Amino acid sequence: MFPVNFQKRSKMLSNTKSASGGNKINIIFAGEGGQGILTITKIFTSAAFKSGLDVAYIPSFGVEQRGTPLVAFITLDNSPLRYPKFDVADYVVVLQSRAVEAVSQFISPNTKVIFDSSTINFALLPKTSIQLFGIPATSIATSKYNPRSFNLIILGYLSKVFNLKPDLVFSEVMLLLGKKFKSKEAEAENKEAFYAGYEMVPERDNFSKAVFKPRQGAILVKGHGKSGEILPSRCKGCGICIAKCPVAALSFGEELGVLATPVPKVDLERCIACGNCRNFCPDAAISIDKI
Amino acid sequence: MDKIIPASWRTQTKPDFFCPGCGHGIILKQLGYAIDDLKIQEKTTFGIDIGCSLLAWDFFNIDTIQTHHGRTTPVMVGYKMSKPKRVALAYMGDGGGYAIGLQSLIYACFRNDPITVILVNNGNYAMTGGQMAPTTLPGEVTPTTPDGNPTGFGEGFKGPELLSTLCAKNAYIARATVSKPLLLRSVLKKAIKNQIDNNSFSFVEILSICPTNWKLGAKQCFSKLADVEEFYVPSEFSKKEQNVK
Repeated sequence: MFPVNFQKRSKMLSNTKSASGGNKINIIFAGEGGQGILTITKIFTSAAFKSGLDVAYIPSFGVEQRGTPLVAFITLDNSPLRYPKFDVADYVVVLQSRAVEAVSQFISPNTKVIFDSSTINFALLPKTSIQLFGIPATSIATSKYNPRSFNLIILGYLSKVFNLKPDLVFSEVMLLLGKKFKSKEAEAENKEAFYAGYEMVPERDNFSKAVFKPRQGAILVKGHGKSGEILPSRCKGCGICIAKCPVAALSFGEELGVLATPVPKVDLERCIACGNCRNFCPDAAISIDKI
Repeated sequence: MDKIIPASWRTQTKPDFFCPGCGHGIILKQLGYAIDDLKIQEKTTFGIDIGCSLLAWDFFNIDTIQTHHGRTTPVMVGYKMSKPKRVALAYMGDGGGYAIGLQSLIYACFRNDPITVILVNNGNYAMTGGQMAPTTLPGEVTPTTPDGNPTGFGEGFKGPELLSTLCAKNAYIARATVSKPLLLRSVLKKAIKNQIDNNSFSFVEILSICPTNWKLGAKQCFSKLADVEEFYVPSEFSKKEQNVK
């Protein structure tokens, strides 16, 4: 059953001491459905297993596809693992502010909390969390690579922390995600993101400014006998208004909406104020009328 | 002229929890406008089911009840019995109405209970990942029918046609679609008015889109909805003649 390689085991967790003093490491991953938490935890555990550790992996998630907290409990041990449950975690990885509540009971002063400092304000973390490691993964991924590669940056950093060989971890990434990389460039970009995460120095204080916020209030448009408003704070970027505009007066603009997707902009010269965009918009974010 | 947001919507909870492009938003918007037009915000009670429809639990500035799966119809029937002056709206998906809650729906229609049932049909169980539902079209690929929905499971459940065979004379049964929002609003208004004026059952099935589980963009979603509308034809259904005495 076990990949018995005891010599390898003794080396693996040498620089990581758990809260209880032994070499058993308890890790909690917490995020939100749709972020790819399950994918990176699967990659992480299988890479740890292939490095010769005993691994227990217990993901816990609801039936919902998105929007709810998702928690995965992982135990690594370099001797045979007897019992996979724990009350206090040695490492907590939090990637969404709404998931903080789900893990706060597992955090003690000895727990090392790794969090995405570009989306979570550190003040939101419970007071028992003292050892904070901030990684601005979302902002780095959005500015340098692909927004979706933020979880690979986290994975890269974690393989550094737990002494996993980066090449082994990335081969696991290719096993699980290889099909999703449509081109060689996408693969190279994600590999770069992963190794950037591996080399990353975490923020211990002076954390990055947290949380992406869309522009508040309405964009008012006026001219050609028409006036209207577009609200980036409500727009989710579904594109229904653009698909349903009969005169193609709408297109995606540069302003970002609540899910960091582009908000439509309107060409008032073409617009005939038919009201289709207002009637179809599921989020009440757009309305144009004749004056 | 309509406002950008219906007055009965709860602005503090927007943006809501529905996926981008969800048909629920379009339906609830027209329902909001209909409630504004009829001026019944103060006396309406809104019952919601389990499934994607439960994400509307804080959607309106209206008293809302969240019920067990498929039991929205009987809860609203009981509510209407105890408070006959209120307007009772039961809002559910095709799973809650046509699968687990079908017998409640049939008997509410059979007894001509004075409530309005609004059923959103997107052809799958959307919240759990788009599995096959009674309303899934033949040949459609879902996670539980990877080779296309075989016709051995039935060729799509036609609810309004079923209910129109056993409904009372003054019941209102209709099918609408999100591709025609203004028509949808007038159908919803008729259904609510039928409850208030005629004190009888009204039922509206609304064909909706599901960009997340259909895995399509906005434009392709509406072209697929046009195909769905050929199978489930949107219209009003009157009581079948053979049952009229």
